[in-house]
Amino acid sequence: MFGIIVGTHGMFSEQLVKSLEMILGEQKNVRAVTLVPGEGPDDVVKKYEQAISELDCEDGVLFLNDLFGGSPYNAAARLVINNEKYGIVTGVNLPMLIEMCSAQMVDDGSDIKALMEKAVEAGKNGTQTFHASQIEDDEDDL
Amino acid sequence: MKIVLARIDDRLIHGQVATVWSKATNCQRIIVCDDDVANDTIRATLLKQVAPAGIKSHVVGLEKAVRVYNNPKYENDRCLLLFTKPASVLYLVEHGVDIKSVNIGGMSFHEGKRQITSAVSVDDADVEAFKKLNEKGIELEIRKVDTDKKTNLMDVLNKQ
Repeated sequence: MFGIIVGTHGMFSEQLVKSLEMILGEQKNVRAVTLVPGEGPDDVVKKYEQAISELDCEDGVLFLNDLFGGSPYNAAARLVINNEKYGIVTGVNLPMLIEMCSAQMVDDGSDIKALMEKAVEAGKNGTQTFHASQIEDDEDDL
Repeated sequence: MKIVLARIDDRLIHGQVATVWSKATNCQRIIVCDDDVANDTIRATLLKQVAPAGIKSHVVGLEKAVRVYNNPKYENDRCLLLFTKPASVLYLVEHGVDIKSVNIGGMSFHEGKRQITSAVSVDDADVEAFKKLNEKGIELEIRKVDTDKKTNLMDVLNKQ
């Protein structure tokens, strides 16, 4: 199995995992890591290492970060550069996290790069728009 | 029509259905079967907007649901049926729709109901309908998502 670590500025990651669990139920191989004011990348690296030691990361680790180039990302990058089984995707949102946890349950042995692509796709597809003008008459209406 | 899942969930199409069940069942259509919702234009319109990618969603009254079930045009379509209450499932079953198992995902609490699990609350009419479904040998299982362990609804009711 691969481990999922959500790493963000502030409590976003913890709350995002709680929102995830409202939909998918309790998740055992997911950890939220926070960067709180006063902490730096070194602190986050330690938290990541702690999380990795607690998770099943046999097939790798997927870091889902909020901002490309932010401290949680920079800290993850330090670990990822030394391990081919690790990868980072930024712009984490709930659709992306749900997709990755579903992939984790299925555990079809996808390599980390395939998972990263799937995460990006789910994150993008999760961004939709709705405006009253978009309602159209449906010809296929049973 | 191939019924891949019959689910009672008064939130209808929401996170668990859109992200988990639609994939787990590999359905082509999600059909909300409910008279009140079918008569509520705004609710029905919005439900048709939130189908997951690649899946069509529909809202029909119970009478029409039976007609759609029997329509040979949809014979091979994999359909996920959503209901707000067991009485609607019973109506379909009593009108010849072949449902062997009902998944109970969520029935919200309001005045006059009693809570039987964290996600399921029932009133007397619900209990009556569930009993009749049970007497017909239909499985009644409580699960929020497909990876949860099934809880038999009748066992929970009998413990009350």
